[in-house]
Amino acid sequence: MSTIDPRIHQVLDGEIQREALPPELRRQVELLEAAAALLAAAPKAESVEQRVMAALRRPAAPRRSRLVWWLVTPRAIVLRMRPVWTLALAAGLALLTLLPARVSRPDVGEEEGIAQFVARFPGARSVAVVGSFNDWRAGSIALEDRDHDGVWRGVVVLPTGAHEYMFVVDGERWVADPLAGRYVADDFGRENSLLIVRPVLQ
Amino acid sequence: MKLALLVLCVASPLAAQSLRTRLEGRVPAASIPVIDSLVQVAARESLPTDPLVQKAVEGGAKHVSSERIVKAVELNLDQLRRAQELLRRAGDTPPATPAEVITVVSARKRGLADSVIARIVAALPGEPRGTALHAVADLVAHHFSGDSAADLILEAVHQGLRGVRLLDVSSAAIQETQRGHTHAEALARIRSELPNVPAPPPPPRTTVQRARRPVASGGQQPLH
Repeated sequence: MSTIDPRIHQVLDGEIQREALPPELRRQVELLEAAAALLAAAPKAESVEQRVMAALRRPAAPRRSRLVWWLVTPRAIVLRMRPVWTLALAAGLALLTLLPARVSRPDVGEEEGIAQFVARFPGARSVAVVGSFNDWRAGSIALEDRDHDGVWRGVVVLPTGAHEYMFVVDGERWVADPLAGRYVADDFGRENSLLIVRPVLQ
Repeated sequence: MKLALLVLCVASPLAAQSLRTRLEGRVPAASIPVIDSLVQVAARESLPTDPLVQKAVEGGAKHVSSERIVKAVELNLDQLRRAQELLRRAGDTPPATPAEVITVVSARKRGLADSVIARIVAALPGEPRGTALHAVADLVAHHFSGDSAADLILEAVHQGLRGVRLLDVSSAAIQETQRGHTHAEALARIRSELPNVPAPPPPPRTTVQRARRPVASGGQQPLH
């Protein structure tokens, strides 16, 4: 059912004069005529054949752009593998994960072991381990307190055997290791801590 | 023979020079000639000299006075002599190796009675005794009697344990007392379990430093 007044149809068909219409209908007639003029002026749509030929004639995109396009376009990847190869791949990955942890251990000789030093010195600016293993030279083995909780730690490769040592706090205060468990008189009125380093490669 | 004499003639002054170089700047200058002479005495008596030099540089590092450093070196020379004599009396064929002498000095300093040390030395002829003595000393430090501690460690040796495994035996006995057992119970329990004692956990995997060891220094007591 048309919503256009029948008198407008009559005017457009030339059956009655435009002036015979009331002003609001006359305005509608002008709008319809303007729309018809616009449609008549629109360019003629290309056919499918013309569009295909235009695409073929267009120069190819650069290789890099095509690669980027290929990479970012989602694609389904189907990997077919025998179960035995899947197991072999899993075993290989497990070896790769475990082996680096083994070889990351420092180069420790037959006559060497690893000593771990831990000491709690809240507020200290520096803590070093000094002992018979470094000719009692202060500062050559510094402990670290990375999280600033007052607990200083260090792991050192040392020759196997018994070593006497002390901590030097802030470069001047000599303190025996409270966790050493073994002590010997230092012949200067105090006690050195005693550490027994075991060989790593037993 | 001539070559040996030539080497000796050249080596002695070189060793003395090396010792002075090691001490210079590390100990008060006034103490160096005395320490030097004490080291030469030790060398003449076939005693290890490195513990004396170590004690001197330790005193220097701790800013101890010259007199106290010399006294400590003299004391250590005396300890080395006593250790050598103890080894001889216990039946060791002279000359005792420097490692054995240093081990005995350490055991005495840790509070082991001469009789207990002599027992261990005599029970392990021709074998390294370092860890055995340290294992006994660990037990004595935790109030085990010297003789019963020596009994346990020698039993462990007879069961085939050697080296640092002997330290595991003493650790296991100490842990038993920490669990509330008496010393006698702990010894009996560990003895019944020999040679099966738990090993310590493996060393940590973390950032590791390497100690800068001085040239010509045997700072550590050998682990045997």
